[in-house]
Amino acid sequence: MQHIRNFSIIAHIDHGKSTLADRLIQYCGGLSEREMESQVLDSMDLERERGITIKAQTAALHYRARDGQVYNLNLIDTPGHVDFSYEVSRSLAACEGALLVVDASQGVEAQTVANCYTALEQDVEVVPVLNKIDLPAADPENARGEIEDVIGVDASEAILCSAKTGLGIEEVLEAIVARVPAPKGDTQAPLKALIIDSWFDNYVGVVMLVRVVDGQLRPKDKIQFMSSGLQYLCEQVGVFTPKSVGREQLSAGEVGFIIAGIKELEAAKVGDTITLAGKPAAEPLPGFKEIKPQVFAGLYPVESSEYDQLRDSLEKLRLNDASLQFEPEVSQALGFGFRCGFLGLLHMDIVQERLEREFDMDLITTAPTVVYEVVLNSGETIRIENPAKLPDTGKVAEIREPIITATIFLPQDYVGPVITLCNLKRGVQVDMRYHGRQVQLIYDLPMNEVVMDFFDKLKSVSRGYASLDYEFKEYRTADLVKLDLLVGGEKVDALSVIVHRASAQYRGRELASKLRELIPRQMFDVAVQAAIGSHIVARETIKALRKNVLAKCYGGDITRKKKLLEKQKEGKKRMKQVGNVEIPQEAFLAVLRVDDNK
Amino acid sequence: MNERRIIPIAPAGRGLDSPLPLPQRPQLSAPPPLALYVHFPWCVRKCPYCDFNSHTVRGEGSPLPEAEWLQAVVADLEASLPQVWGRRVHSIFIGGGTPSLLSAAGLDTLLTAIRMRLPLDPLAEITLEANPGTVEAARFRDYRAAGINRLSLGIQSFDDAMLGRLGRIHGGDEARRAIEIAQASFERVNLDLMYALPEQSLAQALADLETALAFGTGHLSCYHLTMEPNTPFGHSPPPVPDEDAAADMQDAIESRLAAAGFEHYETSAFARPNQHSRHNLNYWSFGDYLGIGPGAHGKLSSHEGIVREMRHKHPARYLEGAAKGDFVQERREVGVEELPFEFMMNTLRLTGGFQTSLFASRTGLPLAAVAAELKQAQARGLLEVGSDFIRPTERGRHFLNDLLQLFLKD
Repeated sequence: MQHIRNFSIIAHIDHGKSTLADRLIQYCGGLSEREMESQVLDSMDLERERGITIKAQTAALHYRARDGQVYNLNLIDTPGHVDFSYEVSRSLAACEGALLVVDASQGVEAQTVANCYTALEQDVEVVPVLNKIDLPAADPENARGEIEDVIGVDASEAILCSAKTGLGIEEVLEAIVARVPAPKGDTQAPLKALIIDSWFDNYVGVVMLVRVVDGQLRPKDKIQFMSSGLQYLCEQVGVFTPKSVGREQLSAGEVGFIIAGIKELEAAKVGDTITLAGKPAAEPLPGFKEIKPQVFAGLYPVESSEYDQLRDSLEKLRLNDASLQFEPEVSQALGFGFRCGFLGLLHMDIVQERLEREFDMDLITTAPTVVYEVVLNSGETIRIENPAKLPDTGKVAEIREPIITATIFLPQDYVGPVITLCNLKRGVQVDMRYHGRQVQLIYDLPMNEVVMDFFDKLKSVSRGYASLDYEFKEYRTADLVKLDLLVGGEKVDALSVIVHRASAQYRGRELASKLRELIPRQMFDVAVQAAIGSHIVARETIKALRKNVLAKCYGGDITRKKKLLEKQKEGKKRMKQVGNVEIPQEAFLAVLRVDDNK
Repeated sequence: MNERRIIPIAPAGRGLDSPLPLPQRPQLSAPPPLALYVHFPWCVRKCPYCDFNSHTVRGEGSPLPEAEWLQAVVADLEASLPQVWGRRVHSIFIGGGTPSLLSAAGLDTLLTAIRMRLPLDPLAEITLEANPGTVEAARFRDYRAAGINRLSLGIQSFDDAMLGRLGRIHGGDEARRAIEIAQASFERVNLDLMYALPEQSLAQALADLETALAFGTGHLSCYHLTMEPNTPFGHSPPPVPDEDAAADMQDAIESRLAAAGFEHYETSAFARPNQHSRHNLNYWSFGDYLGIGPGAHGKLSSHEGIVREMRHKHPARYLEGAAKGDFVQERREVGVEELPFEFMMNTLRLTGGFQTSLFASRTGLPLAAVAAELKQAQARGLLEVGSDFIRPTERGRHFLNDLLQLFLKD
């Protein structure tokens, strides 16, 4: 056990986490040159493209240190985005140390800070590493200052490296050996293994990545999940190098995988504790949480005939993504689809993109919404995940919305516009601190404002320099109303949104005028209205089309005109019928893609 | 061709709404009237809005291959005769391109060749499309002598600025003179006008119409300028009046022409009493036509069904094939499922629509085949179904595309 080091890497997107991981693996000979694919840990195509890690993976490395001893270094990868903070915390809980990788040319960013705090809370030893020192813009002194100032970690011994060139890699490995504590654990105690991650494999079923804290586990052992009590027979254990390699056993201090013939990913929840059914631990490891979706949206196939295909695709995605929820939903305007729950906006984006890319689906996604707590006059409290389902105002005593605490890091030049933005989004300032050229803003913000367009706006007012991290704080009562859109007098259920009363009129006008531009003129006047209950807050009129005729039908040749009419008809078929009005898909998409063309 | 066929009647008890199984092929009781179309594919210059099969003569000043064209077209006709054997031709239309580039002698040769091969109705309408240029106008009298009895002049506008924007080679004065010369030789002259031209105002559009009316001609065609794909205008559209302004022009033109005693008998065609274009009416009543010359389209019915064909489109290809008797680029039978739409696409352009019995006699299908579509069109206020006629309502005429789409098979 003295030769084991369990560590992860904390870094902001683009600060070089994956490149560094590649280098460490390569240095320790985990993969041959031929097998060495750049950024091996990010195994999904999408991750490679977006440059983010979604599923935590791991690599067991053998490193012969300068002291002549061979150490077993377990690199536990962590997801690098705000939506996955729970997964990050479980990954960190499995480690004794973490490399804090900071881009020496850019300094500290919000997610780094959040993840680093998570590490410190769990008594993980943080080893600062300044990456990209080969860049001309690298300013290690400044980065060192920021680490000390912002995070409060001693950075005097920060290691300078360049994952790209390989400079300083050995120093990083030496620091892991020297500074990260060896795991402590009792191999004789009852088994306690923390599930760091789990995923579905088509051949063997669910694979669980675990950190064994106490005890030992061998194939044929009967294991038990402490949160659910479910029992399974352990079939296989092993480690990732990052290739999977079978082992005879996993012991306290080690990181490896378990295969136990499990079919349902939900059975193996991240953060749960595995013990032996025959000799169970007295209590589970701390920190386990059931994760609940925070953001909901309706997903509809553009072609209504692809409903079954969409369901199959979602089911396949869920095999590997237990946090994805969905249930059938019917919209008058969009037909049959699914209400899907996501951990956050990025998670939603990823699911949407995977559906479109891997499953070739054409989708209409309704505006993302948060989960509201609605207290009815009867005293009952219900959760609303779809604005269209909000009960009549007459029955509602109060509506509570989720509030998040957002930590924003940004260069001081943009403080003004960012504060204005936060205030506009009903934010309440909690704290503001200057760290050299960087400013740390902490705001309590209603989450519905954040899912609406906050990210985009923040990016644009800070020219992309602001970074954001957030966590759920509480539910708070607010003066919220449901804003409906009516086309030709008919409510378009898919376009309903819940907004704060103060911004309802503005938003109603904005949506109505946008719809007016997007709905083609019809054979009759069409009214586009925004309403709160029966109160109309905005109205626009789409004037009737005067004519739709082909002027000349050239003598004998009807083929071209016929094609033109066929094309027109085809276009209509792709429209969604609301009452008498034909609304093109693009209109939904553009309205739902809030604000981005402003 | 003389045999009569009986149109099957829908089995008793079948509601009008339930789709009727269509016969394998149309059951025509008698062939429809026949017209002849001859295509002359060359122009001095191609106009930027035009998507017809027209070509400029290659090389400046090189002569038109008139003799080759004549020879080929006659051979084309010769080769087509078996398809129309014994059928009388009611009208001839020589279109283009710019067929007024033909010499009078050439035209005489063509019409003589046609008369020798086809039984031509003594009162047949024989129309030539002509460009209102000085050179052409000089030939109008000889065209009349050759047997042309109706002239269709592509005036488009009398406004020099508009004509320039349209890329026309004639001016307003030339147009006026050409009309006068044409009227001296022809009793029946059609003027083609276009509106919604680049930067045109309502007053300008009406001024063109007034000028045209002043000549007292019996037929006018008023077309909304449209941007066709694969034309220079289609690629970079000029600043034309918006939909509403164009609709205002159309309304104003229609009411002015009604006041002047013109019947608005088809989407874009207006005629004084008995001045209707018989050749075009044949298209619009789903009659038959033989089309010869490069790119010409034909539609011919027989007891075997209804066939559409197109001649080789490119003039060079057409002339080249002529020697080997190879004229047809495309030939296909119109399926029974397409016939209702094709019939409606033509007949519903007519203000008066069609006599109910015409559907069965021209398509060889029972009207019950479109019962559901007719009902839907009626319900949407686009179609009027009388005891013995079916015609578009005013709304149906304005939204003809929406009306016709109801008859398109999915």
